[in-house]
Amino acid sequence: MDVDPRLYEQIAVNDNDIHNIIMSYLVHNCFKETVESFIACTGMKQPSDYLEDMEKRKRIYQFALEGNALKAIELTEQLATNLLEKNKDLHFDLLSLHFVELVCSRKCTEALEFAQMKLTPFGKEQKYVEKLEDFMALLAYEEPEKSPMFHLLSLEYRQHVAESLNRAILAHGNHPTYTAMERLIQQTTVVRQCLNQEHAKVIHQTFCHEYLVQRNIKLH
Amino acid sequence: MENSPTTLGSKGLIKKHEFLRVIIQCLYSLGYKKSASCLEIESGVRYKSVEFDLLESQILNGDWDDCIDTLNKIKDVKDDTRSSVLFLVFKQCFLEYLNRGDDSLALSVLQKRVPTLHMSNETVHKLAYNILALKEMELGKLDEDVISELRKRLVMELGKQLPPPIVLPERRLEHLVETSVTAQIDSCIYHNSQDAVLLYEDHCCGRDQIPTETVQILTAHSNEVWFIQFSNNGEYLASSSSDCTAIIWKVMDNDKLTMKHVLRSHQNPVSFVAWSPDDTKLLTCGNLEVLKLWDVETGTCKHTFGDHGFTVSSCAWFPDSKRIVCGSSDPEKGICMWDCDGNEMKAWRGMRMPKVLDLAVTSDGENLISIFSDKEIRILNLRTNAEQVIFEEHSITSLSVSIDSKFFIVNLNSQEIHLRDVAGKWAKPLKYTGHKQNKYVIRSCFGGINSMFIASGSENTQVYIWNRQSSTPIEVLSGHSMTVNSVSWNPKRPLMLASASDDHTIRIWGPSQSNKIQPAETST
Repeated sequence: MDVDPRLYEQIAVNDNDIHNIIMSYLVHNCFKETVESFIACTGMKQPSDYLEDMEKRKRIYQFALEGNALKAIELTEQLATNLLEKNKDLHFDLLSLHFVELVCSRKCTEALEFAQMKLTPFGKEQKYVEKLEDFMALLAYEEPEKSPMFHLLSLEYRQHVAESLNRAILAHGNHPTYTAMERLIQQTTVVRQCLNQEHAKVIHQTFCHEYLVQRNIKLH
Repeated sequence: MENSPTTLGSKGLIKKHEFLRVIIQCLYSLGYKKSASCLEIESGVRYKSVEFDLLESQILNGDWDDCIDTLNKIKDVKDDTRSSVLFLVFKQCFLEYLNRGDDSLALSVLQKRVPTLHMSNETVHKLAYNILALKEMELGKLDEDVISELRKRLVMELGKQLPPPIVLPERRLEHLVETSVTAQIDSCIYHNSQDAVLLYEDHCCGRDQIPTETVQILTAHSNEVWFIQFSNNGEYLASSSSDCTAIIWKVMDNDKLTMKHVLRSHQNPVSFVAWSPDDTKLLTCGNLEVLKLWDVETGTCKHTFGDHGFTVSSCAWFPDSKRIVCGSSDPEKGICMWDCDGNEMKAWRGMRMPKVLDLAVTSDGENLISIFSDKEIRILNLRTNAEQVIFEEHSITSLSVSIDSKFFIVNLNSQEIHLRDVAGKWAKPLKYTGHKQNKYVIRSCFGGINSMFIASGSENTQVYIWNRQSSTPIEVLSGHSMTVNSVSWNPKRPLMLASASDDHTIRIWGPSQSNKIQPAETST
C-alpha cells in the first residue's frame, strides 16, 4: 500500500531535525572523521561530551569485532567503570569471545585454562550452563569450525557481542542506545504494517457489503 | 578328573565348565571367597575370563593404552557395546590426565580418541563440559585412594556392559534357579499360595490349594440370590436377592459365616451390591430399584439416591470411599457421579447415551469401565479423558475387574468369558469356556493369589473355576440345585469362594478335606 505523495509533500521538515538524525547515527557508530566533516559542513554545534568517548568506543568496538576481548574489557573498564560488574551477561559474552579466539588459534590448553579460571564461576547460575556447554564443546573438536557450534566462531556472533557492548556503554553514559534513524525506520515499519492490516479490513468489509446488497440481503 | 564328561544333565545341555563358573560366581557373591577360590583351583575353571582379568589389572594400574588395545582385540562384542565401554575408559583416562594437570593429553583424548567412537554429540559435549565441573570440585586435590576407587568403579561398570562369556551377568545362578521355579509355578494350575517354594523337589500344588468343596450353606434368603460380593478386607460377605433384601454376613476366624444385618428397605429385587474401598459402607441397587447407601457397622440406611424413578442397574466406588458412580438402563439417566450425601458431581447422559448394563471403577481410580447396550465396552481414563471402545460379537451380561486394576473379564451369553487388559494393548482377549450361559445374567470373578483364577456361575447349577492361563475349567463344583448367578472369591482368604443361586442359597466353598464333613446350614 503506497501513499499518494501529494498527501505528504506539504509537510515541512526542519533541517535541524534531519541533521540531528544523521548526527546521532554517525556518533552511535563512531564515524569520527565523518562527524567532524559533517559539523564543519552544516555549522552544527559540536556535542563535546559525545565526541570525547567516541574514539574510545570505536576502539572497544573494533577490538571486540576482532575477537580481542581482553583488550575490549580493559578499555571498557576505563571508559565505563563497573559496567561489566553490573552486566554479567555482557561480561560472560566478552570472556567467551576470548575463549573462542583461543580455540580458533588452536591454543586449546590455554583456552582450557582460561575457561577454568574465568568461565567456571558462571556455571553456578543455570542460565549460563547451556551457553557454557556450547563453548566448552568446541574443545572436543580438532577443527572447531566444522563442529555443530561453528556459529560461535562467526563474524556475525562477534558483531552481535560488539554491538551489545557499544549499546551498553552508551546506556551507561545516559545516551540513547538506539539511534534516531533506527527508531524512525522501526516506527515507520510498524505504522505501515498496521495501516496495511486496517486497509485489508476495510476492503473486506466493503466487498462483503456489496455482495449482500447485490443479493438484496439486509444487514442487521 | 581327565575322563570326566564335558556336559552335565540327562539331556547333555549343560556345559560343565559353564556350570562350574556359575557356581564359583555364586560362592563369591554369597561371600564364600575361600571356597570359591578353592573350587577355581581344584576345577581349573576361572570365574573371571582371561580377557577380563587382563582388563582389570590394566585399569587398576592405569595402563590405558594396553587397556584400549585389549578391548579392541576382544571378539564377539557388538560395535555399540565396544564403543560404550571404550568411552568409559576414555572418560576415566581424560579425568586422570586433567587431575594431574596434563591438559594437552586430556585434550588429545577428547579430540582424537573420543571421535573414533562416533558417540552422540550430546555425550561428547557433556564430557567436554565436565572439565569445568571437575575444576569446580577442585579435582586437582583428588588423592590416589579416590583415583583407585574410581578405577574399581570403572571395572565394575565394564563388568555390567561386556557380554558373556567375557563377563557373567550378576547373580547368574540365582537367576537360573528363580527362572526355573517361576516356570514351575506358572505351569502349576492349582498354585494358590504365597509360601516360598521348596527347591528340594519339583513344585506342584494339589487340588487342596483351591476351594472345591462346600463347607457351609447359607439359607437366610427366601428367594433367588442374585449377587454376592466379599468386602475388600475379606471380613464380610454381602448378598442380594429377589426377596428384596440384602444381607451382610460376618466371616469368623474359623472361616464360618454368620449373619450380621438384614438390609430391608427396597421394594423390588436387589440385583447388585458394592462395598466401599474402606468397607464401612455398602451400596445396594436393582434394575427396578433405587440406589441405597448403608452403614456396615449399624446396618442402617444412610441415604437413598434420586427419586423413585431413578433406577440403577449397577454402581461402583472411587478409591477415596467418598464418591460413587452409578449406571442406569434408562438412557436419560445415563451415568452419574455422586458424593455420599447425594450431591450430583458429574453426569454423562443424553439422547445418544446407550443404556448402561454394568460398570466398574478400577481400584486405582484411573479408569471407568462401562458396558453399554449389550455389546459395547467403554474404558474412560478419568485423568486424561481418553476413551477406548471395544465391541463384542455377543451380548455382555456382566463385568468384573482384577484387584490390581490391570485386567477385566466379561461374561457373554455365547457361553464365553473374555479376559482383556485395561490398558488396551492386547489385540485379542483370552477366552474361557465350558460353563452354560445363554438366558440369564451370570457373573464371574477373579480370585486366588495374584488373581490367578477365574470363577463363574452357570445355568447348569455348577460353579466353574479356570486357571487364567487355560481356557478350559480346572474344576467344576457341584452342589447347587438351580442356576448359579454370581460368585465371589475372598480377596484375603484365597481358599474361600462363595456362590449364589436361584435355589435361594449361598454356598461357601473351601479346600477339600480328607475326612469329609457334612456342610453346615446357616439360616440365621
